[in-house]
Amino acid sequence: MSDDSIGRAELQDAARKAFGEGGLGQDPATIWDLIVEMGWLGMTVPEELGGLGLGAEAQGVIHFELGRILAPGPVAAHMMVIEALVKAGRQDLIERAVAGELMTGSLRFATATEAGGTLSGTLNAVPDADTASELLVVTDSRVLLLPIGTNGITLTERPLWDKSRRLFDVTLSGVSADAGVELAGSNTASDLVAALKAHLLFALSADSLGGAEAALDMSVEYLKTRRQFDRPLAMFQALKHRAADMKTILASAEALLWTHASEGRTAPVTQPVKAGALKAHAARVYHAITEEAVQFHGGIGLTEEHQCHLYLKRATLNEALGGGADLWEEQAGRQIAAALLATA
Amino acid sequence: MAEASELETLRNEVRAWLVANAPATWRQESIDPDAFFRIQRDWFLKLVEGGYAVPHWPAEWPGGGRSLAEQKVIYEEMARADTPRLLLSFVSTYHAASTILECASKEQQERYLPAILKGETWCQGFSEPGAGSDLAGLRCRAERRGDVYVINGQKIWSTIAQYADKCLLLVRTSNEKAKQAGMTFLLCDMKTPGITVRPINQIHGDEEFAEIFFDEVEIPVSERIGAEGDGWAVAQATLASERGLTLLELSERMRGALVRIATLIRDTGRLDDAGVMRDFGRLATSVDATCALADQFLAWRIAGEEQVGQASLIKLRYSRVLREFTLLGLRLDDMDAQYHAPITFGGGMETGNWMADFMNSYAWTIAGGSDEVQRNIISERMLAMPREPKNWTIQGDAA
Repeated sequence: MSDDSIGRAELQDAARKAFGEGGLGQDPATIWDLIVEMGWLGMTVPEELGGLGLGAEAQGVIHFELGRILAPGPVAAHMMVIEALVKAGRQDLIERAVAGELMTGSLRFATATEAGGTLSGTLNAVPDADTASELLVVTDSRVLLLPIGTNGITLTERPLWDKSRRLFDVTLSGVSADAGVELAGSNTASDLVAALKAHLLFALSADSLGGAEAALDMSVEYLKTRRQFDRPLAMFQALKHRAADMKTILASAEALLWTHASEGRTAPVTQPVKAGALKAHAARVYHAITEEAVQFHGGIGLTEEHQCHLYLKRATLNEALGGGADLWEEQAGRQIAAALLATA
Repeated sequence: MAEASELETLRNEVRAWLVANAPATWRQESIDPDAFFRIQRDWFLKLVEGGYAVPHWPAEWPGGGRSLAEQKVIYEEMARADTPRLLLSFVSTYHAASTILECASKEQQERYLPAILKGETWCQGFSEPGAGSDLAGLRCRAERRGDVYVINGQKIWSTIAQYADKCLLLVRTSNEKAKQAGMTFLLCDMKTPGITVRPINQIHGDEEFAEIFFDEVEIPVSERIGAEGDGWAVAQATLASERGLTLLELSERMRGALVRIATLIRDTGRLDDAGVMRDFGRLATSVDATCALADQFLAWRIAGEEQVGQASLIKLRYSRVLREFTLLGLRLDDMDAQYHAPITFGGGMETGNWMADFMNSYAWTIAGGSDEVQRNIISERMLAMPREPKNWTIQGDAA
C-alpha cells in the first residue's frame, strides 16, 4: 500500500508541475506534445517494448490529471489502441504510437461488419479522426488496425456541447480488410475486446474523478470569495452541507478507483463489467458535483465566461462514453447477484 | 506493519477459531432483550478467552497489542463469520477503556480494566435533552460537598444503560467560564442510590437507548478523571476512541449482507427484471466504494497520515449507503416488509425484517454524531469553510 501511494503521489506531483494550474485553455497540440515528451503515452507499455512499464495506478493518475485540467484531445482513445498493440506484441506500431503518431478508435466500442473481405459500418465517437494515422476496427471475430486514409473510409465531425473533445463518425463502406493489420483473430478477439473495454472504462473513471475534484475545489473557493448578506457564502450551513456531501461521495469514489487499480479486491464480476460499474459510479459522482458546481456559482456559473460549465459538459459526456450507467449497472447487478447466489 | 504472510497466518488462526467457537444460531435465539444480552455476554467472555476481545488494547493486557492491520483482519473475519456485534461490551472496551487508559490514574486503571475483561459493562452519560449535537451545552450539575460530588440532572440516548454496571459521566461543575471549561468527568456506579434508568422504545420497538435520572447521587471525588474543569478534554479521548475501525467492520458486514438482497430478488422472481438488477448493481458498487473508503482510512492511519475529518467522511458515507441499502430491501420486499415481525435484537441492519432494518438505519444517521454534525466537520475542517457567527437574534424572540 504505502509503496504504491508514494509512486502515485510522485507521479501526480510531476503531472501537476507539467500541466500547471493554468492547464485550462491550453491548446490540444501543446498538451499532446507535453504528454509525448514525458513518455506518458507508454505509461503501461512494458519496458522491453520501449515503455515505462508502470501499472494501472499510474495510468489512473495521468487520466485523473488530464480530467482535472479538462485536457483536450484523444489521449484516452490513443492509449486504448496502444493497449491493443501491447497485447498483440506489435513493437513497430507501439514505437510509432508512443512517439506521438495518433491512432484512434471508437469510445463507444462500436463494431464494423466484415463480409467477403470488406468492412462496412459506422464507428461513432472516434476522437480526432482527422489528425489520426490509424484506426482501430473491431468486428465480430477480429480486431484490426487500418490506415485511416484507406479507400472507403469517410470522416464526419459531430460537434459536441463539450468543446474539450472532438468526436467523429467514421463510416466504412467496402473497405478492404487486407489494408489493415490483424491484432487479434477469432481465438483471441473477444479477450482483447474485453481488456480494451476495461482499460478505457478505467481511464474514463479517472478522468471523471479528476474533473470532479477540480470542480469541487473551484466551487468551494468561489463560495469563500463571494459575499452576500455581509458574509462569505461559504458561511451558510445550507451550502456547507451540500459541499460536504460532494466531498464525501468524491472521497469514496476515489477510494474505489485506486482499489480497482491495485486489484485489492476481487469482485465476483468480469473485468469489463467491474470497470463499467466503476465508470458508472465515477461519472455519476462527476455529474452530481458539476451539477452542484454550476448552482453554487449562481449567475456567473450560467455564463460561458466561467469555467464550471465546461466540467458539467464533460461530465455528461463521460456518462455516455464507454456505455451508460443503465448498461453497466444492470450487468454488474446480474453478475454480482449470480455470484452471491451461487455461493449462498 | 506486519508482513503480509504474518497477517495471512493470523487470518487463518482467527478463521479456524471462529469455526470452532462462533455462536451459529444467535439470530434465531435473540428473540427478546434478555436472550440477546445473555448471548452477548457469553460471546464476549469467549472472545476474551480466545484472545480476540480487545485487540486494540495495549500489549500488557491479555489479547491486546495488535497492530491496526491485525485488528482489521480480526474484524473482517468476524464480519465474514457473521458473529454477533459486540453491542453490550462496545462502550466498555472502546470508550471506557480508552478514556481510562489515556486519562485515568494507575489505581483507577487497575480497578476498572480487569473488570471489563470479566464482563463489567459501561454506558456513556454525555447527551442530554438540551445538549445533543451541541454537547458543550450540557447542564447536569455536580456540586462538590467534601469528598463527594452530588449529581442532579438527566442524561439521555445512553446506549443500553439499563444493562450497564458503570457510567462515563460528563457533568457541569461550573457556569463561570466558557461552556467547555466548566465540565468534569466522573466514573459512576449505576447501583448508586438516586439513579433511575428508563429505557426508551425506539421507532422499531427495540430498547437500545435509555434515559438516566440523577437525584442527589453521590460520587466520591476519587472517581473523577482528570482535574475538575478538564472534563471536555477527557471527553474528546472518549469520543476519539474507535475512529474508523467500527465502520470498517460495519462496511464489511454491509457487503456481506448484499446476499440478502440477491436472495430477495431471486425469491420474488425478479432476476430478469432489468430495472431491479440495475438498482442492485448500483447499490453493490456504492457498498464497494464505502468499503474502499474505510480501507483507505485505515491505510492512512497505519501510515500516520490521518487528518481531521476523514473519520467523518466514512461515517457519513456509511450512514447514507446503509439508508440506500435498507430502502432497496424495503422496496423489493413490498407488502411483506409492512407486516409487523418480532425483531432480532442487536441485529443492526440484519434483523430479517426490512422495515425494521430501514428504521434502524436512522441509528447511524443520528447517533454517534449526526450526519449534520459530520457535514459541519467536513466542511469546516477539511474544506476550510468558515463557521457561522455565534451571536444572533431573532426579531420578536423574547428570550
